[in-house]
Amino acid sequence: MSDLAIDIRNVVKRYDEHVAVSDLSLAVPRGTVYGLLGPNGAGKTTTIRMLLNIIVPDSGTITLLGTPHRTRGLTDRIGYLPEERGLYKKMQVRRVLRFLAELKGVPGREAERRIDEWLERLELKTADRDWGLAKVDELSRGMQQKVQFIGTLLHDPDLVILDEPFSGLDPINAQALKDSIVELKARGKTIIFSTHLMDNAERLCDSVCIIARGQKVLDGGVAEVRKAHSGRMVALAVDGDSRERIAPVLGDRTLITRVDDNNRYYELELAPGGDAQQVLRRVIDTGVPISRFELVLPSLHQIFLERVGARGVEEGMSGHG
Amino acid sequence: MGKLLVVFKREYLERVRSRWFVIGTLLGPAFLLLIVGAPRLMGDRSEGSRDVARIDVIDATGTGLGNRVADALRAKYPLSRAPYVRTVDASKVPLEEDRSVLRVQRDEVLGALVLDSTTIKGDSVRYAGRNAGSHMDVDAIRNVVRNVVLADQMASAGIDAKQVDEFSHIRLDIHVQKIGDKGLEKGNPIAVILLGYGVALLLYMMIVVYGQAIMRSVLEEKSTRVAEVVVSSVDTDTLLAGKILGVGLVAITQVVSWIVLGAAALMYFPQIMGGGDAMGGVADSSMVSGAASGAAGGASAAAALVKAGLPTVPVWATIALFLCFVLGFIFYASLFAAVGAMVNSQEDVQQAATPVMLLLVSSAIFMGPIMANPTSNLAKTMSILPTSAPIIMPLRMTLVPVPWIEIVGALAGVSAACAAAIWLSGRIYRVGLLMYGKKPTIRELAKWVKEAR
Repeated sequence: MSDLAIDIRNVVKRYDEHVAVSDLSLAVPRGTVYGLLGPNGAGKTTTIRMLLNIIVPDSGTITLLGTPHRTRGLTDRIGYLPEERGLYKKMQVRRVLRFLAELKGVPGREAERRIDEWLERLELKTADRDWGLAKVDELSRGMQQKVQFIGTLLHDPDLVILDEPFSGLDPINAQALKDSIVELKARGKTIIFSTHLMDNAERLCDSVCIIARGQKVLDGGVAEVRKAHSGRMVALAVDGDSRERIAPVLGDRTLITRVDDNNRYYELELAPGGDAQQVLRRVIDTGVPISRFELVLPSLHQIFLERVGARGVEEGMSGHG
Repeated sequence: MGKLLVVFKREYLERVRSRWFVIGTLLGPAFLLLIVGAPRLMGDRSEGSRDVARIDVIDATGTGLGNRVADALRAKYPLSRAPYVRTVDASKVPLEEDRSVLRVQRDEVLGALVLDSTTIKGDSVRYAGRNAGSHMDVDAIRNVVRNVVLADQMASAGIDAKQVDEFSHIRLDIHVQKIGDKGLEKGNPIAVILLGYGVALLLYMMIVVYGQAIMRSVLEEKSTRVAEVVVSSVDTDTLLAGKILGVGLVAITQVVSWIVLGAAALMYFPQIMGGGDAMGGVADSSMVSGAASGAAGGASAAAALVKAGLPTVPVWATIALFLCFVLGFIFYASLFAAVGAMVNSQEDVQQAATPVMLLLVSSAIFMGPIMANPTSNLAKTMSILPTSAPIIMPLRMTLVPVPWIEIVGALAGVSAACAAAIWLSGRIYRVGLLMYGKKPTIRELAKWVKEAR
């Protein structure tokens, strides 16, 4: 049995005017949380839809859980939460859930049992009220999100694919989602999710892949990725009103290529050949009181900006991620 | 197979459970009773209460024609209030007419009938009144006057008035019987016409109503975005098939319920059906399009049939009929499904469905002419053309004998059209289901079909 949950090799998907995914290869080990990061239009949703056999790649191979992804019955072992979410509005919640479970091959009676369990767990079924008997459109947006999430997991899938799962979630549901992801991983499941929120990815993921314009920019374990980009980032904090005095230093492109300006706290990316000691010396020379100067591991956010750049974000604004 | 069943079950149960299905199923026969019963009831009452005879008769003939007409009116409409006769000089007619106009305005009478020298000759008679727009009233008055003038003329030609009276009441009924391939057929030919008409109308209506239900169902899955979750679990062909089968069975369930309800109603309340008049009523209401009358038309025809004696419908014909429905439904349902997958909003969908609706309506439009002349070339062509065959072939089959080769040919044609429609729709469906944004152009559609895999 392969120890990869997802093995994508040289996958290409073209549409008329553009290449959505270009020669993408990915390996997601079993039992990990994997983040697919990229700006809008990078090809995230296209990649995910190809995983689920909703669209067919022009070339390349995809292997899921050790089997070619077009194998019959394989989708029964996958749970999918699409970016565009929705349920049958006029249907009773229980019946929608049962329908989704049965589509995945869960027998009716077993589905009913699990529905009860989940509804109680996510507080949709309490002593006061059983929302399972309501119609979907009688539920609040937050409750509908819970129902959708239950639908994704009701058949206890081995591989869970979540497309932008955090978008549009209220803080309570976002927390519940994080808890569930951690719990799924503890039970040996594999979770892959796409996001453009780097904070979530950095906290949750074991490994990530950054894609832009349909191409892989980098991938690997979060710790390794950050380490590989270390030594180039400096955290600088200064006291008092010193902005104008240090501006010439920060503006020196031979030393620093990029500045993330947070008013009194700066994250600096050193220029190739730029030296942190030299930067420190120049800042001291200005006479600005320094409260922090530290070589740091870059955040995924910074790595993302560094590798993808503003250009990639803007270019890829059209269409699905 | 398992997933097909799951999709099928959802489509079927959600629909059959819905309030609208129950209402439609119960109201179908109620509509039938209304449409069949109402004209009858109204007709019965109006015969007696309608004040056809409450008119001014202005007699300028100087022959007493006015009084004779009034007598005849009184005799024919005993429940109506009596006419008022004014015998006047020919020169006073305009004056008298003005007076009658006032009387009509004050609702003292319904209208004024002017008899003059042209009337005696049998040329013309003048009537003005509130009910001048009613063909039935005007015809009734004309017939009365005509009979009186006829009697006058015959009397003056020397024929005995009593004999004249007898002659003018000759009643000639025509008893017709259909001859088929096996000789004389049993059953009332009117019932045969009703069967054909009812079946065709029912097929048409079911395809329109439930074909569009599929279209809306696809659109709903698309617009609520539930489609993406569903197609990640089941392939689009299975989804489409489950949908068409599920909704198709809902249609069959409804028809069967109507037949059962209709039969039960007949069994327990045979009097509601009345006799031949009821069937006349149905025939009169023919060609009113729309779901309501379609339902009633179909069901009432079935009910009337039971009353009039069922014409013999051989088993093979029943099978052919059933196949017509199934194939016709699949053909149109898959086209409607493709339309649903093409668009994104309720506003766009009606417009996008127009070509499919035109195909359907074109079969309905020709039902009248084909019923009038089921042996015409039009009837033949329309009953074999795959787009209209599912509706027109059953109609033609019940009216006249159709060579079996034509029936088989038509069914084969529809089957081929079905296969083409499924192929085409399957592809449009697959691509369209996850396409959001503006409505595709024809060229984009062609590309969807080409590129779908």
